[in-house]
Amino acid sequence: MKYAFFPGCIAKNVYPSIEKSTRMVFEKLKIDLVDYPYSCCPAPGVLGSYDQDTWLTLGARNISLSEADELGIVVICNGCYGTVHRVYDILDKDEEKKAMVNANLGKVGMDYKGTYRPIHFVDVMDSMKEEILKNKKSDLGLRVAIHYGCHYLRPKSDEATYNVEKPKVVEGIVELLGCESVEFKDKLSCCGAGGGVWSGAEELGIDILEEKVQNILDVGDVDCIVNICPFCHMHIDSTQKKSQFKADTVPTLHLNQLLGMAFGMKDKHLGLHTHRVSTRDVVKAVKKAGKEKK
Amino acid sequence: MKDTEFLEDTKITKCVQCGKCSASCPAGRNSRLLTRKIIMEAKSGMDVVGREELWLCTTCFLCFERCPKGVNTVDAIIELRNRAVMEGKFPEVHVGAIEGIYDTGSGLPLSPDGIRDRSMLGLEKEPEDIARNEEDFKNFQKLIKELGLLEKVGVER
Repeated sequence: MKYAFFPGCIAKNVYPSIEKSTRMVFEKLKIDLVDYPYSCCPAPGVLGSYDQDTWLTLGARNISLSEADELGIVVICNGCYGTVHRVYDILDKDEEKKAMVNANLGKVGMDYKGTYRPIHFVDVMDSMKEEILKNKKSDLGLRVAIHYGCHYLRPKSDEATYNVEKPKVVEGIVELLGCESVEFKDKLSCCGAGGGVWSGAEELGIDILEEKVQNILDVGDVDCIVNICPFCHMHIDSTQKKSQFKADTVPTLHLNQLLGMAFGMKDKHLGLHTHRVSTRDVVKAVKKAGKEKK
Repeated sequence: MKDTEFLEDTKITKCVQCGKCSASCPAGRNSRLLTRKIIMEAKSGMDVVGREELWLCTTCFLCFERCPKGVNTVDAIIELRNRAVMEGKFPEVHVGAIEGIYDTGSGLPLSPDGIRDRSMLGLEKEPEDIARNEEDFKNFQKLIKELGLLEKVGVER
């Protein structure tokens, strides 16, 4: 299996721990990742809100880079997915917009065909459960709160099969790793970062996140929040450490970091020590669960 | 009456004001954003393009998925934001991010902390992206200029 790897700005530049964990986990599962000269996806909340034609064109540019090599993109971020997957869907249905995009790309000698639908890494993992089990070293024994974020689930495209109000795909993966997934209020709601709110309306972003974290704290004894998006990850991890943040803090792990832990990779190699909210108790709990098993 | 043809694809005329959108809205619970009201006013031909609360939507699409009439509430808000930019009524706070994308190729650029963490984790100091590929980067900047976004937000390059 081989994909064009679209890490996205945050996993590359702000939380390289997520890029590193992804590369390690994919290598373990024998999936090749190929790098391309990608730009920002571009950010759906900011660029998309300012100029749809620019957003569509730059998104199509990114998708087109691996078309000649007959490779589709895999993303590890909901924001990137909210661009490349949606751009693909829009251009697939709208010939006029596709012509506009190609007229622009033509000016720099490029061309968008739309032959490979970009895929979210969660769907890759969902299709590799057997390989995941084979590579699992021990059950993690964690109680986790799954944060889906928004754009993996929504807007739901025509070909998707999950239940948009009760998805089970990430639950299926964390349970495979010996984690218990807890239910909590407004589980499917936003972290508060998207749509330009993180950069444009910081206080609102904090309020929305506080509500989310409080709903998770109310469940009790949750070891960590598992996310599938570096933008959510950044907001949950960094914003909880801001002085205005009123709730207690909960550590968060990108799903690829959780997979890495289950594969027996060292927490330092997965960059867990670079998080703002300490992950020490999570690492301790995993070690304890591993020992108890022996 | 304001021209609302640009909202046609979002089906706002189908809205029956049930309020499911605002009941689902995580931003609305914590701010003055009232999606139901914006859709109602836009549908009735009022000029809502300059409304500051348009920029409080996190584009989570819960409202869209729950709308019983299939109104694309989020795309309507995005279209209204695009229109606001055309009319020069946009929040200045995002202009820096747009400049950053043009100047570095990244929405959030590589920081000294990022370089430190990358090295520590054994990754290449700088990621293998557009910023390291001169020809691609030049073409990328040319595309942005040709599309006129910089002019719209008053950025000179």
